[in-house]
Amino acid sequence: MSFVPGLGMLRGMALTLRRFFEPKATIKYPEVKADYATKYRGRLQLLYDEHGTLKCETCFQCAQACPIECIDMGGIDTKGRFHVHWGPPETYGERREESALRRSGRTVPDRAYEHFEPIPIDPVVAILDRYDYDPKEMLRILEAVQDEYGYLPVSAIKTISATTGAWYAMIYGTASYYRHLRFERPLTTIGICRCTACLLAGAGRIADALEDELGSRVGSVASDGGIRLARLDGHLPGAPSPLVTIDGEPTREITETNAATWIRALTGRTAA
Amino acid sequence: MSVVARSWGNLTTIGKVVLPLFVLLIVVGPIATVLLALFVGPLVIDVLAANIVIVRFVVAVTAILLFSIPAAFLIIYMEMKGIALINLRVGPDRVGPYGSLLSVVHGLKVLMKEDFTPTGADPIVFTWAPVVVFLTTVMSFLVIPFAPGLFGQDLNIGLLYFFAVGGLSVVGLLMAGWSSFNKYSLVGGLRSAAQIVSYEIPLTLSVVGLILLAGTMSLNSLVLQQSGWFTNWFVFRQPLAAIIFFIAITAEINRTPFDLTEADSEIVAGFATEYSGMRFGFFFFAEYVNVFVASAMIATLFLGGWNAPFPFPPVSLGVDPGALGIGLLLLVAIGPLIGTLVLAVPFWLARSSMPTWQALVLGFLAFNLVVILLFMGWAFVSIDWVAGLILFMLKTFLLVFVFVWMRGTLPRVRIDQLMNFAWKWLLPASLLNLFATAGAIVVATSVRGS
Repeated sequence: MSFVPGLGMLRGMALTLRRFFEPKATIKYPEVKADYATKYRGRLQLLYDEHGTLKCETCFQCAQACPIECIDMGGIDTKGRFHVHWGPPETYGERREESALRRSGRTVPDRAYEHFEPIPIDPVVAILDRYDYDPKEMLRILEAVQDEYGYLPVSAIKTISATTGAWYAMIYGTASYYRHLRFERPLTTIGICRCTACLLAGAGRIADALEDELGSRVGSVASDGGIRLARLDGHLPGAPSPLVTIDGEPTREITETNAATWIRALTGRTAA
Repeated sequence: MSVVARSWGNLTTIGKVVLPLFVLLIVVGPIATVLLALFVGPLVIDVLAANIVIVRFVVAVTAILLFSIPAAFLIIYMEMKGIALINLRVGPDRVGPYGSLLSVVHGLKVLMKEDFTPTGADPIVFTWAPVVVFLTTVMSFLVIPFAPGLFGQDLNIGLLYFFAVGGLSVVGLLMAGWSSFNKYSLVGGLRSAAQIVSYEIPLTLSVVGLILLAGTMSLNSLVLQQSGWFTNWFVFRQPLAAIIFFIAITAEINRTPFDLTEADSEIVAGFATEYSGMRFGFFFFAEYVNVFVASAMIATLFLGGWNAPFPFPPVSLGVDPGALGIGLLLLVAIGPLIGTLVLAVPFWLARSSMPTWQALVLGFLAFNLVVILLFMGWAFVSIDWVAGLILFMLKTFLLVFVFVWMRGTLPRVRIDQLMNFAWKWLLPASLLNLFATAGAIVVATSVRGS
C-alpha cells in the first residue's frame, strides 16, 4: 500500500469541486413542482405509536377518500369489532364485508345495479373470450377494449375485474401506468370508409397519410390529441368518395395530397 | 387666493418649517461653498498638508473600516453560496440578484436581536471583548499593500506588526470567555487561546526563512521583490513555508478543519456562547474579515501580492485628449449620439417586432457598456494601482474560495490531533525550513564571495 500524506484530502477536494459544477438537486417548490406519475399517491403505510400499538382505528376515512378504492380493510378495530391484517394495506386481498363498506359510506356492490354509463358490453365479453379470461393478458385486453370503444369505460373495467378475478385497483393501476391508455372519450373520431369505391378513390392513401401524421394506426387512439382513427362499417348513403367523417359527419374535399395539412390543422385546434 | 397661498395652506406644520429651510439651503449652499472654498479652504489645506502623516492615517483607518463591511458581506455570501453548491443545493437565491443581499439581511437580523448580558457577567469586559476581537482584525489591514501606493502604512516591521496584532485577538477571546460567567464559555475561551497560541509559533517561524531571503519585513518591499515572472513568487522559492503558513493561518482564523473553538455540531459554542445580537455579530464579522486578511496575507507573502504573473509589456496608449482641440468638444457632443445610433441598429434589425424606441434604449445601454469597458481597460493599462488592485483582489478572493471550498469538504479534527499536529509536525517542519534556508543562504553567499 502506497500511502501519500494528504492525497485523500486532495481527492476529497477534487470530489467537492466536481460537485460544485454538477446540476443541483433542489426543487424550488412554489415555482417548480416535482414531476410525479399521475397515479402516484404516496406509499400507504400503517403507523405505530411509541408503545408499539397500531394507530389505525379502522375508521374507514382513508378507504372513503381513496379515489381508486385500493384501500380495503377487514379486521378488528380498537373496540374489537373488526379484524385488521397488518402489512402493506395495498396487498389486502380479502373481500370487504358489507358492513365495512356501509360504514365507509360506499354503496354495497350489487351486480344488478350499474350506476356507470351504459355501454354495449358484448364486445368486451368477446375480447375477454378471445384472451381466455386470463389476467396475465391484461394489457392486451385493455388495448383491445380501447381500440373497440376509443377509451376504457368504467363498466368495461368492472366487467373485466369481475370476470378475470383481477382487482379493480390493479386494472386501474395498469391502465393509468401506460400513457396510451385513456379513461376519457376521445375528443374526435375520424372515420375512413374502406368500401371498394372509396379505396379506388384513394381512401387507403388518405388513411396512410393520417396514420403517418398522427403516429397511430387505424382502429386505435393517437396518444396526444385524443383523435381516434376508425374504419367505417358502411358507406353513408349519398356521401362522396373517398368518404372521411369527423364524429359521424362526412367531410368533403379531403384528398391524399391535403390530408396531412388538414389533420395538422385539426390537431392544432384540438390541442388549443 | 393665489396658487402659492393655497399650496402653503396645504402643507403640514413640519412642511412649513422644512420648506423654507430647503429653499434657504439651495440659495445659501452654493454661496457658502464658494466662500468656504475661497477663504477657509486654503487654511484647511495648509493644516492638512502640514500633518500629512496623520491625515493619511485617519483616511486609511476610515477606508479600512468602511472596506471591511462589504468585504465581510461578500465573503459570507461566497461561503453560503459556495457550500450550498458543493452540497448540491441552490443556496441563497431570494434576496437580491442570485441572493447576494442575504448577508446584508443577516446583518440587519443580528442588529434587531436582543442584546443580552447574563446575570453575573462582568458587563464592562463582556462589552469590550467583541470590540477587541474586531479591532485586532481590522488593525491587520493597516499594513496590507493592496496596490502600488495603496496601503495604510508601509511599516518597516509590517510583518512583525501583523503577527503582533494577530496575537492580540487571544486577549479578546479570553476576555469574552472569562466575563461571560459561564464555565463552558471559559473552557471555550481557553480552548481557542491554546489553539491560537500553539499555531502562532509555526506561523511566525515559517516566514522567518522568507525574511532571511528577502532581508526586509516591510510588506511593500516583500511584494516588490516578487515582481517579474511568477517564478519569482515566494511560493516557488519557499514551498514548505507556504504550506506551513497556509495550514497554520487556517488554524489561526479558526476555519475548517481547525474550527474547534466553535465546533457547533459537537460542543458548546465556545467563548461566544453567552453572546447575542450585535455583540455576537462582531465576533462573526471579525471571523469573516479574518478570512479576508488571511487570504490577503498569503497572496502578499507567497503569491506576489499585486504583481502580475508575468512582466507586463509597457503599453502606453498615447491618447492626449487636449490635442484634439475643438474636435474634442465635437467628439463629446456627437460621440454618444452616433454610438447610440450605431449600436441600436443591430437590435433594430435583429427583431422586426421591436419598436424603434426600445432599440434606441438598448443601443444607449450597449453604448454605456462599451464606454465603461473601454474606460476600465484604459484604467487597467494606464493607472498602475487599478491593475494592481484587480490582480490583488483576484488572488485574495481565489484564496477565500479555497477556504470556503475546504470548509465544504474537510471534516473537523480532534483537539489532540490539532495539538499534536502543531507541535510534532508543523513546528519541526518550520524549523527545518528555517535551517535549510539559512544554510542555503550561507552557502550561496560564500560561493559568490569566493
